[in-house]
Amino acid sequence: MTKNKFQQFVKFLLNNNLVIAPQYNVEGYLHLAELKNVKDLYLGTELPMDSWKWYFLPPEQKMFDYYGQNFKESLPKIKSQILLGVSILDLQALTLLNQVFEKDTYYQEIKKKTIVIGTSLVPKENFYKYFAKFEEDKLEHLQFDIFLAVQKGDYKIYTGSEDGQRLLDKFGYKNYQHIEYAGSIREEGLDQQMLVIKDGMQNYHNQKIWDDLGKRCMQCGKCTIACPVCFCFRMFDQANLERDSGSRNRCWDSCFYNEFTQVAGPAPTAPKHRLMTITSQKIYFWYEHHFVRTPASFSLPGCVGCGRCTRTCPADIDIFQTQRDILKAKQRKK
Amino acid sequence: MINVYKTYKSKILNVEKEGSDSKTFTLSLPYKGFSFEPGQYVMASIPGLGEAIFGVASAMNDKKSIQITVRKVGTLTSELHNKKKGDIIGIRGPYGRAYPIDLAKGKNVLLVAGGIGIPPLRPIILDAIKNPKKYKKVSIFYGCRDESLLNYIKEYSRWKKVCDLNITLDNPTTKKYPKGVVTTLFDQQNIPADASAFMCGPPIMYKFVIQKLIEKGLKPENIYASLERHMDCGQGVCQHCAIGHYYVCKDGPVFSYAELMNFKSWLSPI
Repeated sequence: MTKNKFQQFVKFLLNNNLVIAPQYNVEGYLHLAELKNVKDLYLGTELPMDSWKWYFLPPEQKMFDYYGQNFKESLPKIKSQILLGVSILDLQALTLLNQVFEKDTYYQEIKKKTIVIGTSLVPKENFYKYFAKFEEDKLEHLQFDIFLAVQKGDYKIYTGSEDGQRLLDKFGYKNYQHIEYAGSIREEGLDQQMLVIKDGMQNYHNQKIWDDLGKRCMQCGKCTIACPVCFCFRMFDQANLERDSGSRNRCWDSCFYNEFTQVAGPAPTAPKHRLMTITSQKIYFWYEHHFVRTPASFSLPGCVGCGRCTRTCPADIDIFQTQRDILKAKQRKK
Repeated sequence: MINVYKTYKSKILNVEKEGSDSKTFTLSLPYKGFSFEPGQYVMASIPGLGEAIFGVASAMNDKKSIQITVRKVGTLTSELHNKKKGDIIGIRGPYGRAYPIDLAKGKNVLLVAGGIGIPPLRPIILDAIKNPKKYKKVSIFYGCRDESLLNYIKEYSRWKKVCDLNITLDNPTTKKYPKGVVTTLFDQQNIPADASAFMCGPPIMYKFVIQKLIEKGLKPENIYASLERHMDCGQGVCQHCAIGHYYVCKDGPVFSYAELMNFKSWLSPI
């Protein structure tokens, strides 16, 4: 697809659709927002500050309405949306989220109404080596509807779902190649980089790394908001002003917050029993989620190397440096 | 698709006081075909206050009702204590991995409970009473802060017919029960090395009990502990209950010591 034709395609999408895409805001930051005009669209190697999880897992979501003792399911009321310009790193993140929330009614309802258009663009400096170079055979392990492989001067178009095919057919573009999703695990086996770091964390524990990070981290939780694969949530009830009615909701949570592991309370007299009380425990828990638990549960990397946590961290904690430190500690102990 | 967070209505059929701060609620089955294994838990909810987990405390094959024993410690449990016979609460579950009681068939069983840790072990005791020949010998070790906090006191005479019941108290006011922590009982009793130990109590109890049981020759794969964590989803998604690469809600709450001993953060984080 030529660049010209692509412009027409975006215009076609904007007609009657909600399109979310990376755009620079007035302050000069690259953000995700509703695309109103084709010329605002940014398609490049820079990643937007916020991640695409906002559009699959809203920060706050109603799950049930209750009246007295009766709970009624409340599905997300969204119209169809098109996510345009999802970097291949973020596609890897969405592929993981799709698995984590496979049985989640709310996530699946939104997924049903969402078209994901990915691109092969990745930041020039990228710690996740697997995606440093785009190759066609990497696509069959990612979930998307349409994919744009950036070539010299134009885009090669792939489709990953019937919805994607239908959309292109409607636009009148036929020259695409369909890729059948072959599951998230690659033929060559599990991701090597993922396995090496998991082994380092599990078998070559170095407390000094975590004590040092604990001194620098200020538990603000910004990394958990920025991360495309941080999906912790908390469930809470919200009463209406009228008696005996309200809603059961969920919202994003952060493992850096004190209440995260609290098992009793919050009545004033209740014992506040918390499992994680110091910062180094919390930051270890965060790394453990990404580099141990996610690989163990889903055989997929829990970090896609986007570097959003590093960009957003007010204490300048560099996730790639920490990974190097984990590997160094492993080498030393070997 | 089934909404995994859907809570089912369950009617309170009976409320019984257990000691000074706990109550046992007998509940109608939340849905047809509800069944559980000892050690599994349910998520009980009150609209407006949210959900909390409770180990199922009743007999396994009861086709009509289930029981949970609730200690009053926070907002939700206080409100539960205000509920009366005939009121409705929400239940979803059962969730989690149970105590592997089939492994203990024909063998000696040690049940070690601390404080409010006794309810999830009660289904095993009731199972032993119903099938006296299923296990070789069942010994219960139950440590509690003081006499007023002991649960299921009315049932002890029934328990004693089949099980060996040993109780210690931290602060005894009478001479009925000895003073001390549960581990002191292990020195006075003959602990068979081939026994399976099922435990539920505070982490500090596990630390000392496991040490003692290993000394007595029990194998790590025969020692099982039920862990308590903050849980929200019960599906292994929300991350609140994670320890190491396990989720307590899904992979637990019951873990063998063989599983736990390999990583540092199960008793308390690193």
